[in-house]
Amino acid sequence: MPQIFTASADTKLRVVVLLLGVGTVGAFLLGGGYVDSAYVTRVGWPRHQPVPFSHKHHVGDDGIDCRYCHDKVEVSSEAGLPPTQTCMTCHSHLYTGAPVLAPVRQSFASGEPIRWNRSAKVPDYVFFNHAIHINRGVPCVTCHGRVDQMALTFQAQPFQMQWCLDCHRNPAPHLRPPEMVTRMDWSDWDPEAHKDFGRLAVMAFGIDPKRLDACTVCHR
Amino acid sequence: MRSGSPHADDADWVRRRLGGRSGRAFWRGLEELSEAPEFKRLLAAEFPSLAQSPADFARRDILKCLGASLALAGLAGCSEDLSHSVPYVEAPETIIPGRPKYYATAALMGGYAQPVLGETHVGRPTKLEGNPDHPACLGATDAFTQAALLGLYDPDRSRSPRYMGRPTAWSGLDAMLVSQATRLDATAGQGFCLLTGATSSPTMGRQLNLLMRRWPQARWYIHEPVSEESRIEAARLVFGRRLEQRLHLDRAEVVVCLDDDVMGPGPKQTYHARGWTKRRQSAQRGEGSCAIWMAEPTPSLTGVMAGRRIIARPDRISTLAAALAARLGMSSEPAPPLGEEERRWIESAAAALDAHRGQCLVAVGSQHAPAVQALGLFINAKLGNIGATLVLAEPSLLQPPDEAATFQDLVQRMKAGEVSSLTILDCNPAYTAPADLDFTGAAERVEMRFHSGLYFDETAALCQWHAPLQHDLETWSDARAVNGLATILQPLIGFSFGGRSRHVMLQNCLGDVFAEARAVVVETWREFWNDAFDEHWNSALVAGFVPDSAPAEIAVQPIVDTAPAVARAARGEGLTVVVKPDPTIWDGRFANLAWLQELPKPLTKVTWDNVILVSPALAEELHIETGNEVRLEVPGRSVAGPAWVMPGQEPRTVTVFLGYGRGPIGRVMEGAGYDAYRIRTVADPWQSGGAGLTRTSKVWQLASTQLHFALEGRDMVRFVPAGDARVDGRHSKKRKVGETRKETIYPVQHYESPSWGLSIDTDLCIGCNACVVACVAENNIPMVGKEQVAMGREMFWLRVDRYYQGPPENPKTVFQPVPCMHCEKAPCEMGCPVNATTHSPDGLNQQVYNRCIGTRTCSSYCPYKVRRFNWFDLTGSDPPEIQALRNPDVTVRDRGVMEKCTYCVQRIRSAEIQAKIDGRPIRDGEIQTACQQACPTSAIVFGDVMDPETVVSRRKTSSRDYSLLEEVNTWPRTTYLARIEDEPPDGGSEKG
Repeated sequence: MPQIFTASADTKLRVVVLLLGVGTVGAFLLGGGYVDSAYVTRVGWPRHQPVPFSHKHHVGDDGIDCRYCHDKVEVSSEAGLPPTQTCMTCHSHLYTGAPVLAPVRQSFASGEPIRWNRSAKVPDYVFFNHAIHINRGVPCVTCHGRVDQMALTFQAQPFQMQWCLDCHRNPAPHLRPPEMVTRMDWSDWDPEAHKDFGRLAVMAFGIDPKRLDACTVCHR
Repeated sequence: MRSGSPHADDADWVRRRLGGRSGRAFWRGLEELSEAPEFKRLLAAEFPSLAQSPADFARRDILKCLGASLALAGLAGCSEDLSHSVPYVEAPETIIPGRPKYYATAALMGGYAQPVLGETHVGRPTKLEGNPDHPACLGATDAFTQAALLGLYDPDRSRSPRYMGRPTAWSGLDAMLVSQATRLDATAGQGFCLLTGATSSPTMGRQLNLLMRRWPQARWYIHEPVSEESRIEAARLVFGRRLEQRLHLDRAEVVVCLDDDVMGPGPKQTYHARGWTKRRQSAQRGEGSCAIWMAEPTPSLTGVMAGRRIIARPDRISTLAAALAARLGMSSEPAPPLGEEERRWIESAAAALDAHRGQCLVAVGSQHAPAVQALGLFINAKLGNIGATLVLAEPSLLQPPDEAATFQDLVQRMKAGEVSSLTILDCNPAYTAPADLDFTGAAERVEMRFHSGLYFDETAALCQWHAPLQHDLETWSDARAVNGLATILQPLIGFSFGGRSRHVMLQNCLGDVFAEARAVVVETWREFWNDAFDEHWNSALVAGFVPDSAPAEIAVQPIVDTAPAVARAARGEGLTVVVKPDPTIWDGRFANLAWLQELPKPLTKVTWDNVILVSPALAEELHIETGNEVRLEVPGRSVAGPAWVMPGQEPRTVTVFLGYGRGPIGRVMEGAGYDAYRIRTVADPWQSGGAGLTRTSKVWQLASTQLHFALEGRDMVRFVPAGDARVDGRHSKKRKVGETRKETIYPVQHYESPSWGLSIDTDLCIGCNACVVACVAENNIPMVGKEQVAMGREMFWLRVDRYYQGPPENPKTVFQPVPCMHCEKAPCEMGCPVNATTHSPDGLNQQVYNRCIGTRTCSSYCPYKVRRFNWFDLTGSDPPEIQALRNPDVTVRDRGVMEKCTYCVQRIRSAEIQAKIDGRPIRDGEIQTACQQACPTSAIVFGDVMDPETVVSRRKTSSRDYSLLEEVNTWPRTTYLARIEDEPPDGGSEKG
């Protein structure tokens, strides 16, 4: 009887199936790895700015509070960036001739605003409200990282929805006293000693995690 | 869409068609009553556009049309988006980016101020709300006022001065005006004429006084297509003085309207509707009555709310007025002969008026001769209504110093060559002047013509010079509201779109080219407030009106002893033509606003066109179907337009609407409708007889929404007898109108406060459409254009359904606003394969645009058909002005996603966040949906249904409460209150 399949037919089939299997798994891994990568999320990648503003210098070394510049964070959904005038409150006296600050002086003189490139950004379909987070005691460092150590500003967290939901569904461990939200270093916050703080804060504020993962809390 | 006309050879076809139904049979249009199979298929198709001629679609086109967003949900957020953040250079102290600021100002219409609060985001107005503190509107607006915002941002507005049609510099215009002023100084203004629209501005009045004193030979004329002039003249006939009327409908238990659409579209709609609502709500509680009698030739919004409506030809109105006067014993003339129906109507109206002396009102339409209106005023005076339901006062609108100086006089003088310089400020006589006056021809005899207006329109094209005017929302000015209170208009946006304010233009005409907009208005009010100017000025700007600035009520007595005689118009041959301003375009001034073009007109639901209304009987006689072009001929002129067979229209009367048929002045208005001004004459601007109607061979494609999103059900609008409704409230033993919740197989969720719901009172809804436009403005709803509307793809989240009940000759009409029902057991949530529509813990049905992939399953599952799909990218190519207009708190949707009413979730979240920060619960009434806030009759109420003390909860416990399509058991959060039967018993006094 003539053979329909060659001797190597089995091998070829198994190789193809193996490749398909490996390929599919590999595709998912690659895809998943890709979307989680810093290339896509921009975590750790500073963006080019018109002025190489150093938070490390202003916050870490000089001790300026976040709210000196981002002054609307407690009342508005947007923290915002400071107007050129805020920069000039100091830099009309300090480093008045520094070349790196030329765009700032130019902006103040001409009335043209500085066009910063946003580093901490959520997609346009996310309506994030800073004021409620600050008022509930979510520290700046939780989302923005150790800004006081960033010589150049970059996004510290991937801002993927799962990461936001993790806190929304269990906010207690992430809350701190609201008057200390701009504190950067919480390494001395002993979870054991303060284990009741989060629970009591949630009770005191009337935070209901069951109501915090509704879609329209962020997507309108 | 084709319509089926009643079968010509079967007089009982209506009865046959309706006979099989139980309960009240509602129909949405004459097509529905026909048996046309195409119609049935259309109704059945979920997406009618696909049901029609599929052969026309190439396969690729179908895929293009149906193409959902190719970007899978979520990936759009992953790509590198190089967007900038641009802060201020010097931040204004009071602006917080992310929080809106509200400025009180007004939008103008017909010279009256419509008081608004402009919501501005970082210096850009994005929404107008009614001023809640202003007594004339109490926070409500109408459709025109809501759409005024789009007028501010209209890209087709004129932006630079022009000389001979070509853009030129302001300096050229200024130079011309200065040299003209110098010349006129020498001749005391000989030959100079100023033509403006109606205005109530005190600053304009002051400037005009100055002008008249400086140039005694100059003349000022007013041209307003829909004016108050005849009402003021009627007051002079009866009371000896030119006075304006203010209606207090809140005090009127009985209103008899003789062709007067008091609650219809116009500058006074908000004011009248607010007053009527107060009376209606009292009547709902059993405190007195609120009944309307209406006699009119063509259906109107007031006629819809009227308990007793008869159809009367326009020339019968004077007869009816005389009959009413005779029946009330106020006339020395014998009662005129009446038909049987008219006699019964007069009997019951007279009886009701007699029983409610001092609490009733007789209103005669301003389109009728002043003598007929005077008769109405006389009847009111004799009934003791003056000072109660009808108040007279010095006119808010500025009156020309010479009473006899009418617009006709101006044109005569122009033709005679007596006018050497004509300045036209904010009116468009080349389009709106009566056709037999030939304004265009007369204008050519004027040597120097200067036009200043919002658009480079028909009149600007006639003039050598044109200057752009600032829109009301970006200008310094002042005006009076309908109740006489003055409002100072302040700009909502820091820079203008290139125009100057009308006061600066007037100063420029006087030769003062250095006039500054704010300073001119300040000067007026400095004279008004002798001391503490800054304090008064600032508090007037904050409040949105100047307290105690309304012309006081004047107590007057009639100067005639018996009722004025009215000429009885003889019934002529031919048809009667009634001219009406368009319900959404008015006299043409809003023709370039897409929101108003696409807004379905309240009664016909037609968009993007005006129509010629014919009665079913006339249509049958002349073999006219809806959409057929007809030519309407009056002596000497004619116009052709699409016919619309209108239930409730007087058999021998034809109605035309103004405002359409304009040229390519703006991209939106081009090609829409026909120009009814062509048959409007000086002698008969509002009605004329001896007309003829013939059908031409053309057919117009009309885009009407009346059959879209039809609910397959019964009892959509319910009625309760007046007696039952009075015993109302939580503990009412009356059988409830609706049984809203039956058993369900789905798990029942328990909600905690706050959980949101809406209640709409169909007894209060007058169908004005303010809610629809407010929703458009608040939620960034795109306009789709006529073709797409014809296919049923309009994007309005909130629609106002109009149902007829009864015979087509004179049906009852009811309005029903339909937003999303936010069903607790929502079919759409079950159908969505990607979970893009979910239910929130606070009771909202949520639509998540970024997750939606556009399968449209939700829409096909929705029994109420409230979901709208973005078939195309309707917003991507918006010009920057329209982008500036959009509300930043609401997503602007792209192609391929489904959208629907969200109960204004952005407002809910914003109020929640603020309440949480303040550490307090949300107060009832703190969150108002856009539709609720705009509604002048408080028909819509939103709030927490888990709190029994809120207004919405109280409404839902009423015995009148019911929900739509109860048989599908979706447990909707949007429920309705049944309408209260208004039929008074024949004869005798009226109760409830």
